[in-house]
Amino acid sequence: MNDHCRRYAEDPEENVAHLRECETCSSMYGEVETKPVNLDSLPLAPWEGAGYRSWPLVIVGALAVLAIALGLCAAAGLSPIAALAIGFRYEGTRAAIALIDQKLRPLGPLVFAMLFIAVNTILVLLLRRAPRGIDA
Amino acid sequence: MRKTILIALTLAATVVTALVAGPLFKAPATPTTFGEAAAMMTRPAVIVSELFVWILAAVVVTLISGREVRYSSIELRTSPLYCFALGLVAVTSFVLTAILFSYLIPFVVGIPLLVALAVFAVLTKVYGTIAVFHAVGTIVAGTRSRDLMLRRRWLRGDLAMVIVGLLLLGAIRLIPIAGTIAWSIASVFGIGTALATKFGRREPWFLVWRPAES
Repeated sequence: MNDHCRRYAEDPEENVAHLRECETCSSMYGEVETKPVNLDSLPLAPWEGAGYRSWPLVIVGALAVLAIALGLCAAAGLSPIAALAIGFRYEGTRAAIALIDQKLRPLGPLVFAMLFIAVNTILVLLLRRAPRGIDA
Repeated sequence: MRKTILIALTLAATVVTALVAGPLFKAPATPTTFGEAAAMMTRPAVIVSELFVWILAAVVVTLISGREVRYSSIELRTSPLYCFALGLVAVTSFVLTAILFSYLIPFVVGIPLLVALAVFAVLTKVYGTIAVFHAVGTIVAGTRSRDLMLRRRWLRGDLAMVIVGLLLLGAIRLIPIAGTIAWSIASVFGIGTALATKFGRREPWFLVWRPAES
């Protein structure tokens, strides 16, 4: 294996002449059928073009949402900070957890413990599955 | 067989969750005074203000870990049922664990445990919801061919997909009852996909024990 062989291995189409000159390469690659591949006919990979940053869309989207938020806050007589404070208070979540606690309490600690173990066992079993994603 | 069990489990979990924690829906009343109309504007104002914060968070997370968000989004699109089932079970687990930790508050250790659980739950929800934005954006505005992708100037790349999905889901969220349900379902999907892919890192959660080879 010399430099010419390596170059042929890297780019067979550009170094076709090498196949006729080198016995090793002709014995290795001579019987391999090669077909030109049209890249455009292949499906688009998820990472293609993914790194592109579309700043105009981000800026226009963010400014539009900000303008609507300010307009709605003015109409409702709220400051934007007060609106955010209402939004991020998570009272609903706390109320829901308290409600579930109230409904589970009459069942007793044994049922709660069994429910806790059952749910977390199912969670662990589900988490053991390998993600498919890009391999699917 | 496994798929049937998974579907049955998902449906059963959805019904139980809906029965236990379902909100009581009230028909919105028609405003009769200017004060009532202004009060009715409070909810959309809060939601759109939150959306602006979501945009900032989504841009930062996508710039820092775009590849991870993309992997989670791909997982969500290839195994939606699994992500939803995992999300439902995870939310139930979070709630039960929070109740368990709340019993430990008198023993001091309960408060740090609750704080740690809350931080983990919020991080999972935020990251997962951004992955859902990416998935929705890709389904709605994603390109199918290279030609189309290269011709587009705005609608390409992870950042654009996240913003498109966010604006779409944000608009749906403004619908009174359906919006809340859609956003909750998106959160369940998000928590599921975040946990399924270990926040896009695609690593196993549990190591498998194997004896050392001599």
